[in-house]
Amino acid sequence: MQTLLLDTSGPFTTVLITKDTTLSTSCILRDRPAEHLHEQIQTALDTIHGSPRDLNRIAVVVGPGSWTGLNIGVTAAKTLAQVLQIPLIPLYTLDVLAASEGKPSWTLMNAGRSQCYYAQHSTSGSAEMAVAPIDTVTRQIHTDPDLIRILEYGDTFKERFPGNKMYRSVDRLPPDALVKAMHSASGIQGANIKSLTPAYLQPSHVEQDASR
Amino acid sequence: MLILGIDTSCDDTGAAVVEDGHQVLSNIIASQYEAHERFGGVVPVIAAREHTANISFILESALETARISFADLDAVAVSHHQGLMLSLVVGVSAAKSIALACDIPLIGIHHLEGHIYSNLMGRSDELRFPFLCLTVAGGHTLLLKVVSHGTYELLGHTRDDAAGEVLDKVARHLNLGYPGGAAIEKLAKDGNLHAYSFPRPLMNRPDGEFSFSGLKTAVTAAIDRDPDLNQADLCASFQQAIIDLLVSKTMRIAQKHQLRQITLAGGVALNTPLRKALQHAAQEHEYQIFAPPRDLCMDNGAMVAGAAYYLYQERGPDPLSIAALANAPLGKTGVRYRHESKYK
Repeated sequence: MQTLLLDTSGPFTTVLITKDTTLSTSCILRDRPAEHLHEQIQTALDTIHGSPRDLNRIAVVVGPGSWTGLNIGVTAAKTLAQVLQIPLIPLYTLDVLAASEGKPSWTLMNAGRSQCYYAQHSTSGSAEMAVAPIDTVTRQIHTDPDLIRILEYGDTFKERFPGNKMYRSVDRLPPDALVKAMHSASGIQGANIKSLTPAYLQPSHVEQDASR
Repeated sequence: MLILGIDTSCDDTGAAVVEDGHQVLSNIIASQYEAHERFGGVVPVIAAREHTANISFILESALETARISFADLDAVAVSHHQGLMLSLVVGVSAAKSIALACDIPLIGIHHLEGHIYSNLMGRSDELRFPFLCLTVAGGHTLLLKVVSHGTYELLGHTRDDAAGEVLDKVARHLNLGYPGGAAIEKLAKDGNLHAYSFPRPLMNRPDGEFSFSGLKTAVTAAIDRDPDLNQADLCASFQQAIIDLLVSKTMRIAQKHQLRQITLAGGVALNTPLRKALQHAAQEHEYQIFAPPRDLCMDNGAMVAGAAYYLYQERGPDPLSIAALANAPLGKTGVRYRHESKYK
């Protein structure tokens, strides 16, 4: 079972190919996913001496994350799955973040406008995601003994958890977490692939901004 | 040669299958009209979101209508230059996935080339190089000499707003909805062409330069001055001013460069009075006017596939690394038709 795994949700573009539970190859680039994603996929396939027809399924991070990155990654993944007629596994950013530890944790990421996405995971499995002001969320979880996993590209959260031993921060989704999350997520097929859209960062703001 | 053409350059998601550059087997367009209507114009982030949501269904529909599968395709073409950046990347991503998965050539097309080549689809025997092309759309108004496949010479362009953009903005000022060109044309049918004396900027200059912003200001000022004005009269007079500008400049440049075949391209080419006025002016000088079928005037995938058929033979396939560019020079000679700062 060969799986192509794509993450274009942040400043890094990650392309992985796994065989069953083992990582066969990884290709990680910083910036410009629009131009280089498909070259990266080709390079990864060349590395394992394979072709797209050798793939049995595709997994893609659907967000939240970069607006344009997600549009590119989700479109690339669902078109590949459509042409190759193979299942697609949508992965959610916070679930991947939680998967790297495999134990109870809070996961957070910046949602812009002083808000954050957050979820409380009992295990590494998927959890309900919500959006709230960063200050409210950090106050709520500051004294919680569970691990706090954060995806951030700056210092927004670091400043709010100084000296907290349960605080762990990453600037990209780690490959091992992506593979773990993929194995616990379920795939979609057919019409569900065609209707898949990214879990955008704060989609409601788009309409608000456009109305101004 | 079966080519799948994809266009997501603005607010329409288009996919089409074209055989040998002229036989349109399918031409599917998903309009985003409803998503943008309440904002009075295209919102780029919403356009990108809609393209991502629609693209797989449009691809499937294009293939089903053409009664083929992905495996039957010989190449995939996509508008990768000129348009809204956030929108272009969606079509480019889909096209690259198809090229990779099917192991077929990828052909990147400049969106304007698609519009120009829509005239050759089905009429390539009658149209001879070089010919003149008047491209009028929401983002462009330009006169090009089409020298040969992929080679163009700029003979004139707008200094400020595009004709289509002015139509949209005046329609918005009148609360006629979006897109504005069709609404203005409909109202203008019952109006008096001479009710208002709007300016025709640069009309008497001998070059191919256009300017529409002064006209837009004059029309919006007239609307602001009289809230109870007769909208039909205003639209008729305004539309006629645009037609006079486009037709007079086009005929003058055609005569100056001795180009006896004139093609019309872009969304404003749908305007019936403009088509008639150009035809009438051309007949006086025994020139020939070519205008694409109405379904090829709007942004669509068929024109992209049509252009790709000819341009692939000239320059071969593109690599998977081709990038989307909001503003890109046109053709082999790199024609720049917008302000230099736009290309950075």
